[in-house]
Amino acid sequence: MADQDKTITIGNVLRADIRGFVVASHIPAPDVPTFGTFVRAAIQQERAELIGLVYNITLQDDPFLKNLAVTVVEDDPRYAEIIRDQQENRAIPVEIAVVAIGYRNNEGYHYGLPPQPPMILHRITVCSQDEVRHITAAPDFLHTLLDNRDVPADELIPTALQQAAHLLPETLREDFYLDAGRYLAHYWGRDPARLERILRRLA
Amino acid sequence: MLHLERLKTAIDAMSHLTAERQQQCESDTAQALRWLTDAPEPAELRARLVPVVAGGGDWAGALPATAAPLDARLVAAGDPPHGAVLIAVDGSQVYPDPHAAVLYYLLQIGGLAFRYDGSRPTPYSCESLHFRDDELYDAQGYPISSEQVGMRRLVREMEYLAELTTLERHVAPAAPLMALTDGPLLWPYIERSRADSAALEAYLAAMSEIRQAGGLPVGYVARPGGRTLVELLWAGQLSPADIPGRLADNPLRGLTDAILMAHFLRPGERSAWFSRPSATNQRQADHGHEVWFCYVNVGTEHAPVIARLETPHWGAIDEDAITALHVILLHQARVLNGYPYALARAHEEALVTTADKAALDSEIQRHILEQGIVVRPSEKAQQKAYLGRR
Repeated sequence: MADQDKTITIGNVLRADIRGFVVASHIPAPDVPTFGTFVRAAIQQERAELIGLVYNITLQDDPFLKNLAVTVVEDDPRYAEIIRDQQENRAIPVEIAVVAIGYRNNEGYHYGLPPQPPMILHRITVCSQDEVRHITAAPDFLHTLLDNRDVPADELIPTALQQAAHLLPETLREDFYLDAGRYLAHYWGRDPARLERILRRLA
Repeated sequence: MLHLERLKTAIDAMSHLTAERQQQCESDTAQALRWLTDAPEPAELRARLVPVVAGGGDWAGALPATAAPLDARLVAAGDPPHGAVLIAVDGSQVYPDPHAAVLYYLLQIGGLAFRYDGSRPTPYSCESLHFRDDELYDAQGYPISSEQVGMRRLVREMEYLAELTTLERHVAPAAPLMALTDGPLLWPYIERSRADSAALEAYLAAMSEIRQAGGLPVGYVARPGGRTLVELLWAGQLSPADIPGRLADNPLRGLTDAILMAHFLRPGERSAWFSRPSATNQRQADHGHEVWFCYVNVGTEHAPVIARLETPHWGAIDEDAITALHVILLHQARVLNGYPYALARAHEEALVTTADKAALDSEIQRHILEQGIVVRPSEKAQQKAYLGRR
């Protein structure tokens, strides 16, 4: 459990607005966060922390790999060390896009847009399991995603809910999903097709 | 803003000059290749050049280091020996900037230990921030120059290479171990002060550590400049009576060793060993590390790539080690179009990007602000930063 709960600093803010930000990252492939990962970044001179969800990961152009791609053969033992270096060690340049879902200050967790975006070059860290449990304690953490046309909400919402549910004891998961379902139904009652599509992903 | 239209005449002239040089270069290369095959025996050449070397003059030529003929072409076949280790290091720096918010300089050294046993290579890096007065000002109180920062970086690179060599030796007690650095192994600076001499001493001490750990220090010079071999070939064309009188009259003015070797060495081949009879090399010889060099073609039939390899003489005469080095470098260069993979990765580990520097400056300013002191870049630096973003 302790190992699963490690936090990883994934990069620096490249550009940001109140709804989210993009992180430039040079980290080994195994550490690149996945779609729907909960991350945090300091805001307001580190008096608060924005909480967000990864919704896009873009691999940047890499001249190094371009050169290797034409010379290295995957199963050839002569290139085994190079392939392992590229896959396991090498910092790959990626841009990670994050949508804000809330923030935390000394009064606790708050849902909705944060009062300020993170400043450029501030570091971004993957949330611990405890932080994820806190921010997802109520389904309101989904609020900023509901009408957000800039993010793939229909994919992101189920992924985030599944990640959050996975951190709960099995006996609490059903209630968690029911709460979330009611919350979504309240907002998307007039769009039953969309609601059904999302709920089916949770089934 | 650059007014390209105003440079049109100059660009035209430059392109014509390049074409003329190319034509001249082709005839000079043909001449030099004849000199190479007609060159006297190494022993004879060394004997002829004794007065020049003993006189301590400024002749910019090389000497044959072994009995191998000057036109020797050496090959090394096969794969790198199983278990051999190649350690590569490279460095980068942030120079002190009088217009920055705070005066400092930064050194960062990157490395890669590449073991030929199928295992995952190990990347390394270390960095140091230098901000104290004795680091930023010389004995006369002047701010240190970029050259002095470069010198300190070179020492740190060699020291780090020694640390990594010792570390890797513990992991692989009996493996051939090559310690590769990007650039010449011959100390490239003139000793102008005690600090310069101390830097050279530290550099050579690190090289001794590598030797003690059973490593072979190698300087890899990509796209090498210089024409020491061409000067030697000219000396070979002179009669003993014309030496040193006509040494300065070499007619092949525009030809470099690299161009000559690109026409002489076939892919995968390396040349014989040579040495520079310079005062700096003599100083290194006094410490047991006289530098020898050879050229190697790590390119292909249609795209030769010439590199200069520099190594201490005690390494150059170890035929097994040099054969292993030769094979390893060919393998390393083959995967990255003519440049050793491990060096490229070491460079990547060492690199301080513009974003890294901006983050460092921001962090420094924030910490100083926490001490209640407001610092900011000069107006000139701020304006240049603004214009640079356009």
